[in-house]
Amino acid sequence: MKPENAIEVHNITKKFKVYLDKGRTLKERTLFSGRRKYENREVLRGVSFEVKKGEAIGLIGHNGCGKSTTLKMLTKIMYPDSGTIEMNGRVSSLIELGAGFHPDMSGRENIYINASIFGLTKKEIEERIDDIIEFSELEDFIDNPVRTYSSGMYMRLAFAVAINVDADILLIDEILAVGDVAFQAKCFNRLRQIKSEGTTIVIVSHSLNQIEQICERSIWIHDGLIRLEGSPYDVHPQYMAFMAGNSLAESAAKKKAKDEKAAANAEANGESENTSSEEEKDNKKDAKRWGSKEVVIDKITVVDKEGKERDAFLNSEEINVKISYTNNAKLENSVVGVAIYRDDKVHIYGTNTLIDMSKMLPLKDKGVITLKFDNIPVNAGNYIFDLAFHKPDGFEYDFWRDAFRLHIKNVKAEVGEISIAHSWECEN
Amino acid sequence: MFKRIKEIYEYRTMISSLVKRDLKGRYKGSVLGFLWTFINPLFQLIIYTFVFSIVMHSEVEDYYMFLFVALIPWIFFSTCLAGGTTCITGQKNMVQKIYFPREVLPISFVISQFVNMLLSFIVIFAVMFVMRYKFNPLALLCLIPVMFTEFILALGFTFILSSITVYFQDMQFIMGILTMAWQFLSPVMYSVDRIPAQYQTIYMYVNPMAPIIIAYRDILYYGKVPELITLLTAVGMGVLLFAIGWFTFDRMQRHFVEEM
Repeated sequence: MKPENAIEVHNITKKFKVYLDKGRTLKERTLFSGRRKYENREVLRGVSFEVKKGEAIGLIGHNGCGKSTTLKMLTKIMYPDSGTIEMNGRVSSLIELGAGFHPDMSGRENIYINASIFGLTKKEIEERIDDIIEFSELEDFIDNPVRTYSSGMYMRLAFAVAINVDADILLIDEILAVGDVAFQAKCFNRLRQIKSEGTTIVIVSHSLNQIEQICERSIWIHDGLIRLEGSPYDVHPQYMAFMAGNSLAESAAKKKAKDEKAAANAEANGESENTSSEEEKDNKKDAKRWGSKEVVIDKITVVDKEGKERDAFLNSEEINVKISYTNNAKLENSVVGVAIYRDDKVHIYGTNTLIDMSKMLPLKDKGVITLKFDNIPVNAGNYIFDLAFHKPDGFEYDFWRDAFRLHIKNVKAEVGEISIAHSWECEN
Repeated sequence: MFKRIKEIYEYRTMISSLVKRDLKGRYKGSVLGFLWTFINPLFQLIIYTFVFSIVMHSEVEDYYMFLFVALIPWIFFSTCLAGGTTCITGQKNMVQKIYFPREVLPISFVISQFVNMLLSFIVIFAVMFVMRYKFNPLALLCLIPVMFTEFILALGFTFILSSITVYFQDMQFIMGILTMAWQFLSPVMYSVDRIPAQYQTIYMYVNPMAPIIIAYRDILYYGKVPELITLLTAVGMGVLLFAIGWFTFDRMQRHFVEEM
């Protein structure tokens, strides 16, 4: 194992016997043993990757692609059929929250049980218990039985324990959607802090957004093999396009079958018609853009205070982004979001109308939305903007990665990622 | 092997908190709470006394005590046999999602049953004291290895049965029946003298619980040090079954998650 690596996975494979009719009882096992059919399903067909110490990676892929199985093998609750997994350091997994909680016991007692299941000794738990309680924000309720907790409180307590288990390697599976928005933000900040302390992190999530916020690298697993690996910024658009393409291909195939049937019927009636290939052109996917197309962004223009179109601005200048859209599906409203990246793919900022005003914007059939920045107080550089129309749950109508780029200038030679308004004062 | 023991030791807090959760959680919410741990065996004893001294008079002197000193250890063992089968499958969520040495579950189950037995023994000692039974200190000292042997024997069986149950769920129901049969094949309700002489040797060496129960009764009811051969047989069989049990468990646990 290379000394700079925390995890090395070499060519692991895993097969599951999927019983079509699983017999577990004696009768079924003996009498019908010949009749019990099963399929060997290869979940992983040779996956290898390395994770450096302190690195955060995300595993993505559609359901059943093998990403959770991979994580389970990293956790050692399953073992590969062939291949090896080497890990260097103490491993902790945030896969199941609140394991071992007893409803009749107090929050405090449950912290002890839950933390001990993560392998902490009594002494270690005692060192952490104040942090855990503080993180959970349940100081006033900590000695009440957890059955009296709301589900949000329950999850907060569970997450507080899990996140305070020190580890060299942290494995996380789809659990970051805990509690209210404020608590989620807190969890994320804590994760970032953990990462900055040098912990290696592996995340499995369907939320690409979460992965983009934490991970330097994404591994896309498809049908038991690694399909693509690289920066989330590069991998995710291709993954999204692939997923969209898949569903388009599926519906296209269905449509084709339908058309053929119709054509056959038409032919029988002595008519024939050529369907245009325009639709196919439409289906040609753009790796930087995906969505269901119920609302589509037509054009984006960036103008200054005077309404003049520009692509370079000072970081103190007003910037107006005019987004022209077509509302194909006659939707009443939509969430509109924006994300800003520096051209080296550092995520600078992101927001949407839901976060800003907790509402969606009303839509016309065709219209223009103006997004006004009083200024974008970043330091000099090239910045990439993503724009999206989407549902509150994240379902995307039109996601346009790299919708436009701006060059931002700074008259002062400040350093760092952003420019913070400030002043100096001398006291006499 | 040594690494495994070390790892289980590192999870000692998990074992103790699972035991605590089981013991405290069981009577949580009830008015008498933890007192039930003592009330249960006490009333059991009262009922046996009533039945066997008044209704079904037995020729054995103080039959209720004769029975009780064997029954309490037997209940510990049989709970491990029958209830222990599900100690892995019952914690499905935990086993499927979190890594910990799987041995932790059977170990904490058996410990919690063992603690229950010890608490019942407090009742036995209290009754013995009130009834002015003679305490033989040397014999009582023998109670420690006997209890220890029964513990590792029960753990060995729980290892085997809990791992088999993951693959074959009928095991839990089969054990319900087998345990009942086993009780009648063990000298719990009768003295070992009742077994025909020509079968006594085989009786002693086939049933690992026979020497253990005989030893308990010698110590507590007769107030004498058990024969060395009884003790050695008990220890020998206990260690053997513990080793077999752990070995079986270790081989089978790798595929627990897939089979559940």
